[in-house]
Amino acid sequence: MMRDERISRTPMLLSAVVALALAVIPLPSALDALRPDFLVLVVFYWSIESPRAGGLTLAFFAGIALDVIKGVVLGQHALALTLMAAWATYLRLRLRVFSVLSQSLTIFAFLTGYQFILFWVDGATGNPVTSFSRWLAPVIGAAIWPFLASTLGRLHGQR
Amino acid sequence: MVAFRNSDSSGRTTGLLLRCVLYSLLALGLIIVDKHYDHLGKIRRLLSIAAYPVQVAVESPFEGWNWFRQSVTSRDVLRADNAKLQAELRLAQFRLQRYEALEAETQRLRALRDNTAGVSNRFIVGDIMDVDLDAFRARVLVDKGASDGVFVGQAVLDSGGVFGQVARVEQLTSEVILISDPTHAIPVQINRNGLRTIAVGTGDSSRLKLPYLPTSADVIAGDLLVTSGLGGVFPPGYPVGTVAEVKRDPAQSLADVDIRPAASLDRSRELMFVWVKPGAVLPVAASAKAPAPAAPTPAPAPAPATGTAAAASPSAPKSPPPPAGANDE
Repeated sequence: MMRDERISRTPMLLSAVVALALAVIPLPSALDALRPDFLVLVVFYWSIESPRAGGLTLAFFAGIALDVIKGVVLGQHALALTLMAAWATYLRLRLRVFSVLSQSLTIFAFLTGYQFILFWVDGATGNPVTSFSRWLAPVIGAAIWPFLASTLGRLHGQR
Repeated sequence: MVAFRNSDSSGRTTGLLLRCVLYSLLALGLIIVDKHYDHLGKIRRLLSIAAYPVQVAVESPFEGWNWFRQSVTSRDVLRADNAKLQAELRLAQFRLQRYEALEAETQRLRALRDNTAGVSNRFIVGDIMDVDLDAFRARVLVDKGASDGVFVGQAVLDSGGVFGQVARVEQLTSEVILISDPTHAIPVQINRNGLRTIAVGTGDSSRLKLPYLPTSADVIAGDLLVTSGLGGVFPPGYPVGTVAEVKRDPAQSLADVDIRPAASLDRSRELMFVWVKPGAVLPVAASAKAPAPAAPTPAPAPAPATGTAAAASPSAPKSPPPPAGANDE
């Protein structure tokens, strides 16, 4: 595995832990379905910004952490996150020069793909969630992407 | 940052593809192994110990705020609380005297019927952790786990009545599925006439429903529903809810019955994990299979009731999502 000495992994791991905490922080149940997938967005950010720091490894282990915390079948979020992070890494050179709007739209596509894989694994393992509200998360996620990206960009710049 | 922006080569893309395939296969393998075999339980427990600090860290500000609010409660509020609690305690003690007499009487009657004694009174109390699980499933995380002896399928009560059952056990925590979860069903009995049926969750924490009662069934608004003890998960005789509304459509063969749960599913913080004596349930289940004249139901149930009970009892074992035989811990 290629390692670049100039890339510090501290901001990456720090943001991942904070996002993991945000994923389980209690919200009123009306807002719960509207909670954006912070950890997924953070993984996308690092996949686009510095894939050499181990974007896919981060994606896989962040997915395992989500599986454990949410108590679903082990590997579900890991699979979805790995595939989508690989896609984001593949498109990163194009994504970096996109306008904010086009970036958000691409992130929306990634998040929809992510939800679709979760939906598929849910169905394949025999506990389908057919509620429509799960498809709201990609919209919210795409909407907060610009703020999240600029926040993480600032963290990143100070390394 | 800028230095490697243009350093992308086809070799890196191949590496990306390779790693992507590798991790995806690993994840798929995990899904399949976790779904079909039980080997991952230990690994999952170890991982959950690693996740525990995050959950505690998330919970701690809320805990701290609660602690702060409790510490600065004024003296007047405390005195009012104290007076109220003492009044409640007197009332409870008064009721308890009667309860003990009734318990003794029940023991005598059960002895007459050659049945074993009722519910075991061993229980532990757990706190719901301020952590949100999946938004689409009615489940909560409780701070008691395998190290406290909690097992999958264990009945969980709160101060009002039946709350749910344990769906998953980790080392330090456990996940409880609420009776209001759409995939959860609980065998119940109408306290007034002994009519047995199944209460199914709706996903709404203030409502359950009885989907398997015929329109002619003897059920009216205000009826108390208690656990019947069939299925062997829940101890018999605990309140599940009261009938809120009965809708009878003559064109339909089944009535539409809404239940208001007795437990405060969206407000409770302390839950009780109960241990049921295995012998306590079996006699009831055995008598349910043979609706003989010696049926234990106090009032004579109307004809459709027996039919419903017979129709409902085969579905009773499959009703709790985790199999009752999975309580290996």
